[in-house]
Amino acid sequence: MYGLFQEAIMDSTEIAVSPRSLHSELMCPICLDMLKNTMTTKECLHRFCSECIVTALRSGNKECPTCRKKLVSKRSLRADPNFDALISKMYPSRDEYEAHQDKVLEQLSRLHNKEALSSSIEQGLRMQARHRAQRVRKLHPESENTTFSGGEDNGDTRSHVSHDSAPSHHTSAPASYAPEAGPSRSKKQQMSDDSGPEAFGESCTPPGQLPGHGQSSEIELIFCPHPLLVNNQQYSQTRYVKTTANATVDHLSKYLALRIALEDSQSETQANRNMEGEPGATSNSSLQDVSEKQFTIYISTTGGQFSVSHAAISTLLIEKSEFGLSYL
Amino acid sequence: MASQNMDPAAAASTAALKGSETSGSVSKGSVSKRLQQELMTLMVSGDKGISAFPESDNLFKWIGTIDGAQGTVYEGLRYKLSLEFPSGYPYNAPRVKFITACFHPNVDENGFICLDILKDKWSALYDVRSILLSIQSLLGEPNNDSPMNSAAAELWDDQEAFKAHLHATYKK
Repeated sequence: MYGLFQEAIMDSTEIAVSPRSLHSELMCPICLDMLKNTMTTKECLHRFCSECIVTALRSGNKECPTCRKKLVSKRSLRADPNFDALISKMYPSRDEYEAHQDKVLEQLSRLHNKEALSSSIEQGLRMQARHRAQRVRKLHPESENTTFSGGEDNGDTRSHVSHDSAPSHHTSAPASYAPEAGPSRSKKQQMSDDSGPEAFGESCTPPGQLPGHGQSSEIELIFCPHPLLVNNQQYSQTRYVKTTANATVDHLSKYLALRIALEDSQSETQANRNMEGEPGATSNSSLQDVSEKQFTIYISTTGGQFSVSHAAISTLLIEKSEFGLSYL
Repeated sequence: MASQNMDPAAAASTAALKGSETSGSVSKGSVSKRLQQELMTLMVSGDKGISAFPESDNLFKWIGTIDGAQGTVYEGLRYKLSLEFPSGYPYNAPRVKFITACFHPNVDENGFICLDILKDKWSALYDVRSILLSIQSLLGEPNNDSPMNSAAAELWDDQEAFKAHLHATYKK
């Protein structure tokens, strides 16, 4: 692939291949999903889902959608069960993944209620502040892993978002910050579970698998300070955020702004009166002027590059990018 | 294929009543799924000179922009387009037209574009990105044999005059 010869591997060495690079090989160019009931054109050997190519031939020109070679009828195609077998070997949990995707999509089209979402974010924040009161004593407050729950169950899909802050008001963070791994690094065989560090440069740490997973509409994101735009001295916290798949980028940046404001006000009050107070009750007043405009969220794409995310884009789409980058 | 002989508007409304039954007969879910995929691809690809985003909550109607390619008379001009996706997408081509008036041999005064890949040469493999890139290159390389705007086709050979007229009449 890279034009280099490699020694044949005779021992038990394992090679990790990013699902992303596999995806272009395994996807149907019509539905952009993974091949299902693969059909191969007899002459030009292009692959499609059975349903996709049959629909295409019925509704369009009688030619291969990929190369325009003549396809007289369905008889110019043949099923490719070996390819299906290969895919199901590589992705045994595919049905689960698809069920998850469908559920998320359905919810996305049904739910368009921004208000409900932001109130659930606020609620999550309060809960967290309460929990933090206990954790703060053990953990360094600047390097904690935070989880945020907005829905009823957890999901094991995630994506990587690098996050850039404009910390005009942020002061103390340890200068020597080492990227901390998530709670554990157990990898599951889930296609969205990819994370080649090579693809993300230094901006994103591999995703830590948070314990306690069910399936469904939540998504785990990792926010890191933008490696170029944020001064490490000022702000260096990696955040693990879990949210519903219908949260938009705007929601996320508002959430981040709120959190940081909350933490700031807390560290101030902690300085004032020797801790031990009720942190959940601290200054909600200063949280009013928090806005989603304070932060820009960048989506970490291949090669350590970043693109600015659009305010209205949902996390579902970000999640999709995880799986969909290879065919760019 | 009985619908071919019907009034298209009437056909469309029956199709709407029946759900998403058109010639493609694809479920609405799979169309949105594909459009979501495309949107994500566009967002992260960062192509220069083109962009597209759903107009509002409706994933089936997008607004795209094309910047005139460097080295062509269209350099420095930006055009807005609308893209409407039929329920048979991607088996049926989207309806694409210029919103910004475009003086071009293959674009008529209503913004309709004469481009084979949007008609008989459509393939399910084309997507928003390839459509916009194709239109971008059509701007610089018109097909003058079958012009929709004959005045533009005649003026094309004199690039200086074409450019002068283009820039004088360009309105955002």
